[in-house]
Amino acid sequence: MGTIATVQPERILRDLQELWAKMASDQADSGGVLRACAMTLAVAAENAADAERVRQTVGVLMHSHPSRAVILHPGSAGGELEARIFAECWKPFGKSQQICSEGIEITAGHNGFSEVAKFLVPLRVPDLPVVLWCRGAGALEPGPLAPLFPLADKIIFDSAQVEDADSALQFLRRLRGRGRRVADLHWTRLTGWREVLSHLFDDQGLQASGIKGAQVTFGGPSVTTCARYFAAWIRTALPGTRVTVSSDNGSRGLHSVVLSTVSDSLTIALGSDHCVEVSGPGRHYRSMLPSTSEEALMQEELGILGPDPVYERVLTV
Amino acid sequence: MTEVRNPFADPLRFERRVPECAIVIFGAAGDLAKRKLLPALYRLAYDRRLPASFAIVGNSRTPMSDEDYRARMREAVKQFSEDGDFDEELWKRFAANLHYVAGDVKEPNLYQALREKVNATGQANILFYLSTQPSYYATIVDGIGHSHLAAAPEGAWRRLIVEKPFGHDLQSAKELNSRIHAVFREEDTYRIDHYLGKETVQNILALRFGNGIFEPLWNRRYINHVQITAAESIGVEGRGGYYQEAGALRDMIQNHLLQVMATVAMEPSAVFEPDAVRDERAKLLRSIKVMGPEEVDLYAVAGQYKGFRQEPGVNPDAQTDTYAAGTFFVDNWRWAGVPFFIRSGKKLPKRVTDIAIQFNQAPLALFGAGDGDQKARPNLLILRIQPEEGISLLFLSKEPGSGMRLRPVSMDFNYGTSFGERSPSAYETLLVDAMVGDPTLYTRQDMVEASWTVIQPILENWSNRRFDFPNYDPGTWGPAEADAMIAKLGRQWRNS
Repeated sequence: MGTIATVQPERILRDLQELWAKMASDQADSGGVLRACAMTLAVAAENAADAERVRQTVGVLMHSHPSRAVILHPGSAGGELEARIFAECWKPFGKSQQICSEGIEITAGHNGFSEVAKFLVPLRVPDLPVVLWCRGAGALEPGPLAPLFPLADKIIFDSAQVEDADSALQFLRRLRGRGRRVADLHWTRLTGWREVLSHLFDDQGLQASGIKGAQVTFGGPSVTTCARYFAAWIRTALPGTRVTVSSDNGSRGLHSVVLSTVSDSLTIALGSDHCVEVSGPGRHYRSMLPSTSEEALMQEELGILGPDPVYERVLTV
Repeated sequence: MTEVRNPFADPLRFERRVPECAIVIFGAAGDLAKRKLLPALYRLAYDRRLPASFAIVGNSRTPMSDEDYRARMREAVKQFSEDGDFDEELWKRFAANLHYVAGDVKEPNLYQALREKVNATGQANILFYLSTQPSYYATIVDGIGHSHLAAAPEGAWRRLIVEKPFGHDLQSAKELNSRIHAVFREEDTYRIDHYLGKETVQNILALRFGNGIFEPLWNRRYINHVQITAAESIGVEGRGGYYQEAGALRDMIQNHLLQVMATVAMEPSAVFEPDAVRDERAKLLRSIKVMGPEEVDLYAVAGQYKGFRQEPGVNPDAQTDTYAAGTFFVDNWRWAGVPFFIRSGKKLPKRVTDIAIQFNQAPLALFGAGDGDQKARPNLLILRIQPEEGISLLFLSKEPGSGMRLRPVSMDFNYGTSFGERSPSAYETLLVDAMVGDPTLYTRQDMVEASWTVIQPILENWSNRRFDFPNYDPGTWGPAEADAMIAKLGRQWRNS
């Protein structure tokens, strides 16, 4: 479902109105359609193929975070600015009425994203939050996406593929220092691990004051942002505890965390079947990690539109 | 137990851990267990909310093995899970924690068998769930007490969830409280009112106290009256035997709808903590004016639909109220003189539960006091609880075109469209709350007794009367007397 529009924001918005009127008319006999929108989700895709993948991801995200999606991607050299509109619809279980969210796909012209930024302003849904999702490792470097940053209430990156964890973290810190609310999906990937560790301290199961040291082990040739994040998180939670980070030869990502007390140690280690294994005195169990699909990670981040004090604290360490 | 802050907590990202425990369900083969409890527990497992180690021990009189019980509950979960999600692998893991002990709750041997079963699961914490006929509640609590099942080892806990109805009048509620307190402390007693676990009922607090625009209008100066409706389109559906002893006043108004009213009308608590919130709800319930004997005829109406007496298990001369309506006033500065009209009934035109807050009309009819849609209309704020969950605000708007013709329009917020994600069922919310020890959404002894105090004069009046039942046709909005009751105060029901 879609139609081509020239890139005039008023024209795009008018085309959207017509699209809605047509959908309402087409679906009138089968329960109708309901236009749903809780935010503007702008996505800066890496290229046209990436934009196609984004479109599918956005289709899933709309179920839990209905929004006006604005998918931006660079065009070919010498190309013109182009836009098309679309709608994503789904039918809730047991209901006849379709719920639909709208989308706009914009191909940047030869002036790149700086030109797109000025079109994005009138295309935002008034008075609702704007989330900007910057895809790819390149987004974590100073560059063409910068004109989009001031338009967003929250900017989501993914540092999973960056080569230099330290400079990526510096980049995020600088943005944060300028008052931008930032998120990193590589931090979001740690939620399952963090939850398992946190639960050990619920209901006085484990005394924080008894922890003397922590050893974080990750796989891969260089320190990843997730290893940095995890170590920083432990440091912020247990100030004064000695936290060390080391690598082994396994696949990229977090492999284990060992918490030491004076007499014992407790290990959370990556197991098979997307589980972690917890072992220590009086404890031995497996816990399943939540999905780390891109959709699941984005759903988690889109659920947090206000301050994220834990991440912000970790980012400053 | 003193609350110790977990330095790793991140409430934006993950929930507090549900502690390892055994849930002992009395009445485990009954309708509630099959339709609500097991589907809710399975869904919690699906959402990874249950701890790695937990156990469910079911009890009823029906002789069954663990395997038989698992097979039976598997079918129930498949049939009654609200979202249709059923994962065979997950069920296998979930069912491994499902156990069953057959036995009569009046027999002391049962509690010994339960103790052995729970011990075999290795769980130190136990949550008891009373889902049997209410007449067995006290017997079961006595049995738990005598068998020392309620005695928790150091660092562990015992909690009790009691399904409604909690007593059948004020006196019996007090007696039941007394029997329970002989075994469980009040802070370990969780009286469930599943309406309080509904997202939309919880959202009343968010709407009122999380926004700046509503609360300044939330008082007698701007609100004309409030209507709370819980209508069912179906009849008693095979529950005639139970229902003829309960009736709509006891089954819906005494518990669910008075709790909803308390949530609509309570003062903001100083902090959002269990006892602070419950204190305010209890204070509101105590502020409801208790009707004098002569007021019951003015402010309460009973009804019974045609055909109820022909339902299976129903006495052909039954005086049961399948419909009840009442006018309640709150004796405090915020609400003095504002009527709260509450009604609930079966075989009404549609299934709907909502709260309509009607505001006073604009002081001046600037656009003329014409007829029909042109007539000045009061604004309505409607909090929709079921089947559609959301909030609507009705106001007048100018019709397009020349002239100044006004038309009522509705501004709608729908849960499904702003939050596409699934809302947890009331039982999921409430079960987790009981396991983590958060009683905010459970009713307390003083709340239960306050709501029975409000209802008691009506019960006494009705028990001494002989009604000319039936007095309303299925598919209508109840007896004509209910329309007359509200009309006496110059209002009318929203029958839309």
